[in-house]
Amino acid sequence: MSRSGRPVGSGRSGGSLLLIALLSVAQLWAQDARAIVAEAQRRTASQSQHYEGLLQVFDSKGTIADKRWTLDRIGSHGNSKTILRFTVPAEVKGVALLVVNHPNRASDQWMWTPGIERDRRIALQDRSQRFFGTDFSFEDMEERDVDQFDYTLAGEEDVEGAACWRIESVPKQTKTSQYTRSIVWVRKETYTAARIDNYVKNEVVRRLIYSDLQNVQGIWTARRLEMSDLRRGSRTRLTLDKLVYNLPMKDEDFTLQALRRP
Amino acid sequence: MSRAGYAVWVAAVVTTCGAAPVAAQPITYRGFVEARGVVFPQDTFNDTQNVVADFLGRSELFAQPRQWLQLAAGAELRANSHDQVDDRWRPDIADRGTLRPRVSIRRLTATLTRGPLTLDAGKQFVRWGKTDIVTPTDRFAPRDFVNVIDNDFLPVRGVRGVLEIGAHTLDAVLLPFFTPSRLPLFDQRWTPVGGGFIGREQDPSFPERSQAGVRWGYAGSGYDFSVSFFDGFNHLPNIEPDVSYGPPSIVAGSIGPIEIPIRKGYPALRMYGGDAAVPTRWFTLKGEVGSFTSSTPLSDDFVLYVVQLERQKGEWVFVGGYAGEAVTARRAQNAFAPDRGTSKSFIGRASYTIDVNRSAAIEGAVRQNGDGVYAKGEFSQARGSHWRVTVSGVFIRGEPDDFIGQFRLNSHVALALRYSF
Repeated sequence: MSRSGRPVGSGRSGGSLLLIALLSVAQLWAQDARAIVAEAQRRTASQSQHYEGLLQVFDSKGTIADKRWTLDRIGSHGNSKTILRFTVPAEVKGVALLVVNHPNRASDQWMWTPGIERDRRIALQDRSQRFFGTDFSFEDMEERDVDQFDYTLAGEEDVEGAACWRIESVPKQTKTSQYTRSIVWVRKETYTAARIDNYVKNEVVRRLIYSDLQNVQGIWTARRLEMSDLRRGSRTRLTLDKLVYNLPMKDEDFTLQALRRP
Repeated sequence: MSRAGYAVWVAAVVTTCGAAPVAAQPITYRGFVEARGVVFPQDTFNDTQNVVADFLGRSELFAQPRQWLQLAAGAELRANSHDQVDDRWRPDIADRGTLRPRVSIRRLTATLTRGPLTLDAGKQFVRWGKTDIVTPTDRFAPRDFVNVIDNDFLPVRGVRGVLEIGAHTLDAVLLPFFTPSRLPLFDQRWTPVGGGFIGREQDPSFPERSQAGVRWGYAGSGYDFSVSFFDGFNHLPNIEPDVSYGPPSIVAGSIGPIEIPIRKGYPALRMYGGDAAVPTRWFTLKGEVGSFTSSTPLSDDFVLYVVQLERQKGEWVFVGGYAGEAVTARRAQNAFAPDRGTSKSFIGRASYTIDVNRSAAIEGAVRQNGDGVYAKGEFSQARGSHWRVTVSGVFIRGEPDDFIGQFRLNSHVALALRYSF
């Protein structure tokens, strides 16, 4: 007997049951959260993607600078490669970025600068830096993969009138990231991201809003992405034009040699 | 290949391009026109022109008539207020002149892709190495040193094949034609002289043997390295008085400088090199080394190496390092060698992005013995999608017998206005 008069075994047993029940619920929610993200990833999978992007950078004073790029991607998510080439403004025309994504670790990235005719590898510790004066960082140019994060379902919320799951994602140890964690809102109806808040420790540092949702070749796609750098007070809007999925593309067009070809 | 042969080859490439259906040709272009003014507050013994205006127009066109074929062509147009540009309008393809050409073909390349193999043939740029400040293994990249500080790369003519399989890259280059670096003009301020002597270049001669090199690279998970081999000639010459022209002529009563016949010789060069980039938690460590031997008499054997650290922090980018040299056999008398001249130096650069349109940068080099100091500050402002104005100031001090210090009278400020398209 315990001093309280309750049987010890009974108390321990009750506590264990409660703990097991709580763990089970947490595991279930975690599984649900992962399943949601996995389903979202499955629905956006494609063999390739091409679009022309308009980037509008608004600084804290409201000044706008326009940039344009073309993006080609082969594969999806953690098994994809992307080449992005700037076309506007004229002085950065030809600058290109090759991103080789991996399902279980951070991507490899190289940048080609035609002015000096050289490629440069973007080091992991430099991935948090702004990508060409935009509010996207080099890391934000990666394709996220469901296996790179641990998930917890943190609740349900509406985002701009759309019912969403609110999911916390924490990068696994193998995934080097500038972000401590992210909160992702996933639309229930289409399994597409509506918003991502990226945290460094307990501070939201970058917020990505997905809007102008359209069904393109059977894939629900946000045609407008707006990334805000909350520490700088600036934001960048990316609008996707001429978006096409599943164009025939070749692996050899996503190499370092292909990067230096305009 | 003779000049005529080269012209036939170019014509064949152009014809191939023309035979392709127009609808299948994604064509892109880029270029700029730039006007630049430089003010030198100090006179030198051989140059009292304190203001120099320069104009450069550059345009490049790229076409892909077939999935496996890409064609590139580029041209430059130049003008200068200080006789640094050749007066002739004939397009220059060899890039061997003492003066900058009025019109030059900057790029004329056919690129063929087949699986993992890429073949570039024609006039092109070939860059090797990883470091930024001094690049010992960058042997196929001669430069225009007419203004030593603001130098630019010159294209080379030849064939390059690159085989890229997974993380491995094998790069082979063959250059049948030699392209020298363009030196400072002997009668201008970037050729420092003393004692009343000025060099006068005699008819130039260039190596006729082909140059070749091979480089194997590996891009690992988070690190890169490569090893390379080069057999050819130094694009930076030895400079020797040409005794075949007799002693310098001294005109009685002349108060001007005495002219000495000068011959530029491009020594044979063999290089065994390597480079690596290793990101660490705090910075990226880059290193590059080249060991050079020469079979040409009166040319040095030496080792050049660079250790460089890079770091981005917020809007700042920092690059700093040390360039060193070890002479293993000293035989040369006089050579124009900015790569070796800036060795045994601590070198650094810091750039800051102020906002989406403005940036600033400072860079500098200090010889380890303190005999030469170079510092440059630059501010750049973009306007709209096309215009950019850049203001820069360069400060140089040092001893007359130091490579950097010899330009101590060439501190200057510059203003450049560029329209990109």
